[in-house]
Amino acid sequence: MEYVVKTKGLTKNFGKEKPVTGLDMKIPKGEVYGFLGPNGAGKTTTIRMLLGLMKPTTGTIHIFQKDLRKERVNILKRVGSLVENPSYYPHLTAYENLEALRKILGVPKKKIYEVLEIVRLSDVANKKVKGFSLGMKQRLGIAASLLNNPELLILDEPTNGLDPSGIIEIRQLIKRLPAEYGMTILISSHLLSEIDQMATTVGIVTNGKMIFQDSIEVMRMLSQQKISLKVNNSEQAWRSLLAKGIKADYKDDTVLLSEHSNKKIAEAVRTLVQDGFSIYRVEEEKRSLEDIFLQMTRGGKEG
Amino acid sequence: MLSILQAEWYKLRKSKILFIIFVGPLIGLFLGLTSNLSIDVAINEWYLSLFSMNLTYALLFLPLITGILASIICRYEHQAGGWKQLLALPVTRGKVFIAKYVILMLIVLAIQLLYLGAVYVVGMIKGITDPFPLEIVWKSIFGGWVATFPLVALQLWMSILFKSFAAPFTVNVIFTLPSILAVNSERFGPYYPWAQPFSMMYIGGNTDDIFFVPWDQLLTVVGGSFVLFFLGGYLYFQRKSV
Ligand SMILES: Nc1ncnc2c1ncn2[C@@H]1O[C@H](COP(=O)(O)OP(=O)(O)OP(=O)(O)O)[C@@H](O)[C@H]1O
Ligand SMILES: [Mg+2]
Repeated sequence: MEYVVKTKGLTKNFGKEKPVTGLDMKIPKGEVYGFLGPNGAGKTTTIRMLLGLMKPTTGTIHIFQKDLRKERVNILKRVGSLVENPSYYPHLTAYENLEALRKILGVPKKKIYEVLEIVRLSDVANKKVKGFSLGMKQRLGIAASLLNNPELLILDEPTNGLDPSGIIEIRQLIKRLPAEYGMTILISSHLLSEIDQMATTVGIVTNGKMIFQDSIEVMRMLSQQKISLKVNNSEQAWRSLLAKGIKADYKDDTVLLSEHSNKKIAEAVRTLVQDGFSIYRVEEEKRSLEDIFLQMTRGGKEG
Repeated sequence: MLSILQAEWYKLRKSKILFIIFVGPLIGLFLGLTSNLSIDVAINEWYLSLFSMNLTYALLFLPLITGILASIICRYEHQAGGWKQLLALPVTRGKVFIAKYVILMLIVLAIQLLYLGAVYVVGMIKGITDPFPLEIVWKSIFGGWVATFPLVALQLWMSILFKSFAAPFTVNVIFTLPSILAVNSERFGPYYPWAQPFSMMYIGGNTDDIFFVPWDQLLTVVGGSFVLFFLGGYLYFQRKSV
C-alpha cells in the first residue's frame, strides 16, 4: 500500500516527559485520517515533528516516501498545515497575511482570493487580523494551509473556536477535498464525534502511544456489540441454539448472539420460532464510539 | 532565496519601520544644528560639523538602533505563532536567518545614507563654504555600516532567542553603554565591538587605510565578533523548536 505518511518508532522526549513514544503512523493516500486522542496525548507534538518544526528524539518520518530529514523542503512544497492555535501576523490584513506566504510559495495571486472565498473571509480581506475573532483567525489559518494546493493537508484541531455553521462548512470542505483534488488529510481532534463524521481512517493515541489504527469501519465494528434476544424461556432457547451449532451466550435471562451478520441473526430467529419459542424482542446492544474510545484510552492497550 | 527576502521585506515594510529609519538622521540633524563646536585651527568646517554629530550618533544611536530593528523583524514572528507557520513552509531555516540578516543590514545602510544626507543639510543650513570632503565622509558612513555587522548578528540572535522586546534591548544597552568608556581607553577601545561604529566613523583616524581603523583591527575585532555572533545565531536557529 502506498503511504503518504509513515513514521517508525517516532519518539520525543522533553527531559523526563515523554509526550510521544514509539509511534508508528501510517496514512494511506487519499484518506481522511482522524488523529484522535485526549488532551496532552501527544497529537500536536507528533504533528510538529511531521512538519520538521521539532526534531524527533528517535524514529523516522517518511512523507511521500521521502525521508523528512533529507528532503524537508521538497516535501513541504506539497504540504499545507495548520498547527495548534492559528498563526498569523497581527499587523497585517487577512490578504496581506496570505500574500506574505504566497511570495514564498510562489503561487499566483488569484489563489489568495480563491482560498479567502473558500473560508468565507472575502468580506474582511482588508481588515487587520489583530481585530479578528478566534473563529475568523482559524478560518484564515485554514485558508493559508490551502494556498499551495497541497497533496497532504495537516490540520491540528481545525474546528477549534468555530461556530456550528463554521464547523459544518469546514467538515464539508474536508470531505470534499480528497474526492476533488486527490488530497490526503490528517486531522487531529479530541472529539470522537467530529472524527466520526469526516474520517475514513482513524488513529487513536493516548499517552504518546498509538493504541488503535485502522479504517473507521473496523472501528465501528468494535462498537457493535451483541444481538440480544428476549425469549419466553431463555435458557432453553439458548441450549436449543447451541444444539443447532449457533454460537450464543446466556446471561441475565437473555440470549446473546455473538455473530451479527443479518444472515446469522435470521437463521437464529427462524430456528427458535420453529422450535416453538416466543420471541419478544431482538435488540442490538450498541456501544457508542465514545464508549469504545474511553475504554481504549483508559486501558491504554491495543484495541 | 529571493522570494524569502521579498516576503521578509513585505512583512517588515508594513510595520512601523519607516518611522524608525528616519529617527537616526533626524537626531543627527538636531545634533548638528544645535552644536557650536569651534576651534581656532584651520580645519575643513565639514569635519567639525561631522565630529559633533558623530559623537552621539555613532556611540549610542547606531548600536542601539540595530537592536531595535532586529527586535522588530522578529517580533511579529513571536506574537502569534509566526515562526511555526513560516518554518512549515518550504524554506530552510538557514535561508530565513540570512534573509532577515540581509534585510537588517540593508536598512542600516539606508539609515547611514540618510545620515549622510543629514550631514549635508546641516552644512548647507550653517552655510559651510569649505569643499565637501566626499572621500572621508564616505569612509565614515560606509565604515560605520561595516562596524554594525557583528552587532546586528548578535541582536538578531538575541531577538530570536527572547520572545520579549525588553530582553534583547537590555542586552544591547548593557553592551553599548560601556563603549562610552571604551573609546577613551587606548587599551580596550580597539577591541570592544560596540565601540567600533564610533571608531570607524571617527574622523581623524589613520586616513591611509581604506577606513579610519587599521585593517588588522577591523578584521580581528569586527570580523571575529561577526563570525562568532552570526554562527551563534545561525546554529541556535537551526535547533530551535517552534
Ligand atoms: N516544549 C515542550 N516542553 C515540555 N513538554 C512539552 C512541550 N511540548 C509539549 N509538551 C508536553 O507534551 C505532552 C503532549 O502535548 P501535545 O501538545 O502534543 O498534546 P495534544 O495531544 O496536542 O493535546 P491537546 O488535545 O490538548 O492539543 C503534554 O504533556 C505537554 O505538556
Ligand atoms: Mg494539540
